Amino acid sequence: MSNQAELDKLVRSEYSAGFTTSVESDTLAPGLSEDVIRFISNKKNEPQWMLDWRLQAYEKWQTMTSPSWAHIHHPPIDFNEVSYYSAPRSMADKPKSLDEIDPELLRTYEKLGIPLHEQEMLAGVAVDAVFDSVSVATTFRGKLKEAGVIFCSISEAVHEYPELIKKYIGSVVPQGDNYYAALNSAVFSDGSFVYIPKGVRCPMELSTYFRINEAKTGQFERTLIIADEGSHVSYLEGCTAPMRDENQLHAAVVELVAMPGANIKYSTVQNWYPGDENGKGGIYNFVTKRGVCHDNAKISWTQVETGSAITWKYPSVILRGDNSIGEFYSVALTRNMQQADTGTKMIHLGKNTKSTIISKGISAGRSQNAYRGLVRISPRAENARNFTQCDSLLLGDQCGAHTFPYIESRNPTATLEHEATTSKVSDDQLFLCRQRGIETEKAVSMIVNGFCKEVFKELPMEFAVEAGKLLEVSLEGSVG
Amino acid sequence: MTLTESLKAQALEGATAYQQRNDTLSSLRDAGRDALENLPFPDKKSERWKYTSLIKLQDGHLAKQAHKTSELSTADVPDFGGAQLVITNGALPATLPKIDGVIFSTLSADNPSAAKELTPFSGFNAATLQDGLNIHVAKGAQVKQALHIIYVGESDTPASAATRVNVTLDENSAFTLIEHYAGTGPALTSAITRIHVGGNAELTHYRLQSESAETLHISELDIQQQRDSRVRSYQLMKGNVLRRNDVRVWMNEPGADLVIRAVFLARDSSHVDNNVCIEHASPHCTSDQIFKGIAGETGKAVFNGRIHIHPGAKGTDAQLSNKNLLLANTAEIDSKPELEIYNDDVKCGHGTTIGQMDSEQLFYLRSRGVDAEQAKRMLGIGFINELILSLPNEAIAEWARDWLGESL
Repeated sequence: MSNQAELDKLVRSEYSAGFTTSVESDTLAPGLSEDVIRFISNKKNEPQWMLDWRLQAYEKWQTMTSPSWAHIHHPPIDFNEVSYYSAPRSMADKPKSLDEIDPELLRTYEKLGIPLHEQEMLAGVAVDAVFDSVSVATTFRGKLKEAGVIFCSISEAVHEYPELIKKYIGSVVPQGDNYYAALNSAVFSDGSFVYIPKGVRCPMELSTYFRINEAKTGQFERTLIIADEGSHVSYLEGCTAPMRDENQLHAAVVELVAMPGANIKYSTVQNWYPGDENGKGGIYNFVTKRGVCHDNAKISWTQVETGSAITWKYPSVILRGDNSIGEFYSVALTRNMQQADTGTKMIHLGKNTKSTIISKGISAGRSQNAYRGLVRISPRAENARNFTQCDSLLLGDQCGAHTFPYIESRNPTATLEHEATTSKVSDDQLFLCRQRGIETEKAVSMIVNGFCKEVFKELPMEFAVEAGKLLEVSLEGSVG
Repeated sequence: MTLTESLKAQALEGATAYQQRNDTLSSLRDAGRDALENLPFPDKKSERWKYTSLIKLQDGHLAKQAHKTSELSTADVPDFGGAQLVITNGALPATLPKIDGVIFSTLSADNPSAAKELTPFSGFNAATLQDGLNIHVAKGAQVKQALHIIYVGESDTPASAATRVNVTLDENSAFTLIEHYAGTGPALTSAITRIHVGGNAELTHYRLQSESAETLHISELDIQQQRDSRVRSYQLMKGNVLRRNDVRVWMNEPGADLVIRAVFLARDSSHVDNNVCIEHASPHCTSDQIFKGIAGETGKAVFNGRIHIHPGAKGTDAQLSNKNLLLANTAEIDSKPELEIYNDDVKCGHGTTIGQMDSEQLFYLRSRGVDAEQAKRMLGIGFINELILSLPNEAIAEWARDWLGESL
């Protein structure tokens, strides 16, 4: 570290002797310092190596500056105004019944056709113990254990599988990878850990939703999925229903490791609070997602992004092994004042590696929707192949749709194709639908659904249906 | 001292030689010096210079002025059928050609370039300008004779030469401009061309960059298009030590139409970087661009094509295609087509491909007794021939086929 950085650190550090820890308190006062990290680690009863790892990340973070290259605008975030630890709310604090929940939220649940008890769970209503003990989650857990699949929270895994965590955490997204990843590494609250043993095909779709202690993973989520040789797993993150969430800043990290011949499918539906029509409020979502593919492995990212005031997210695949495959399917919908800068990176290192990128951006209202992607072919990636298609659909004349692809090739046997188009819902299409008695709003949603079909068909079945409904709900009021 | 700091110091040193000159360009040079002092030179972190390093400029090109007198005689220059004008190391000839309907004048403080110096390189250009040229095509003039400007930048030691040409086409006029760069030695050509195309005027523009491999070239081309104007720009270039072309076209009024056809070759250890931005600031304008690139050996070809549709620019049709051939795994092609769109009533698209020569086609030619070298050349010419065939001037097309063919 340079002298200046050391000096800065000294100036920033707080009077450590004056720090008092109230064991009773559930929420830490806002602010970030080494002591805060020690506090978080201590609360989770973490071993020393985990704490050291966090502190290392914190040290790196202090030397970094927040990135400004993305096509998004927001006031600077004061990281000392964020509270970095809040324990799950106790039953007493939670809303007692659905009557206490914002009716707007309930209407959305109804439109999405979510069963009543699930609505309660999503809205954070104190779920009674009886329901919980017979919940689907418990049944699924037993079945997974039978197959040898490890699926638990990352805090649990730190204690129970330290050798796996030590080996793989930060192996795909290093602590100092980027500003938000470094912040996450220092203060991550919780997240999921998945290990699929050799040759095992995971008996069911894994979902954060089924994990029993999924009460609240907090704003700095960390996920690590390891698929051992020849195994197969499909993982669902998020939920089509909007989550009640009061944290404004989210900085998650997801790491995937696909060992030789393994296959990981990671699907996300993100529908956090996007702020009101004037851009007030809403979640800032800064996510680092990356996977490594060894020989003959495959990683497939599918995402449907409709929420958050700001989305900054580039799920990537490092195609390290020969014959490995990376895929990225994305639908990003922005409306009102939402801003999305999302895309992918495909880094081709091995021979005969293949990647496919299909990105569909839909912007409405006064929103800005950008695709930003990188395809890099290294000199030894013989016969690498990439196909990229980025389509944008504009609804309204005040929104923006942008495409920023970076295409870098250093191997003559590689074949790369990139195509981008921009269009609007044509009057002809609308006229045809209207003529057949379909109202405008319904017609637009049909057309948009057709536009996204290529991506939806990559989603697990039930999810695809819900995602379609979600778009419909999100588009309401954007037309006419 | 970092590279950017040292380049700035060298550029300011280069500008000092001109500070005492008291002539019609003094105020322009002062403005250039100001820009140089205030604008930092780009480094690898600068988004628009991500793939092009300025390390090759560290030998002091910016500090010294190219002085060698050209031995180039007009006999060496291919005849494209236009009136020729040779600018040697930034100095205009004693007499300017005569073309009906075209008025030539030297740049002076009364008519400095309308645009401000917005980059350190345009600042450097202004600060070290010896002569500048104004070309004015009169209203309604349909000029048959083309103007063929030959820019010669020559030097035995690292040095630079600045050229600046302002072209104005008045309403309803038509004009053909051939910009031909031919220099040798470690000379940096700092070239700025600013073109204003008036209402319903038509410009045919050629940009032939055939300097030898040891030269350097950093240029800015700025085109302003008014109502219903038409611009056809044909840009052919080979890489050298450092070639960087910034092209920016503004569609200022409705109905403007732009076509760009370009070929860039980066063989051996050469470098070529094209940075193109089309500003669709007005409704119902069209732009159509095709860029074809080839990189071989340790060459590096960079393409950045941005299409920016402003909020009011409804009815825009903007298309961009960038196709590349990569011939070796020591060569590199970096392509970054960008769309920035703020209006829904547009038709916009871009496509990029990077690939290699088709092995089946090569096999076909080999099986008919064509040797490998020749077969590759044939396929290479086949790849760019589409664009060469589109050149309206046959003499240039013929010359270009031979000249580009040499490097395939």
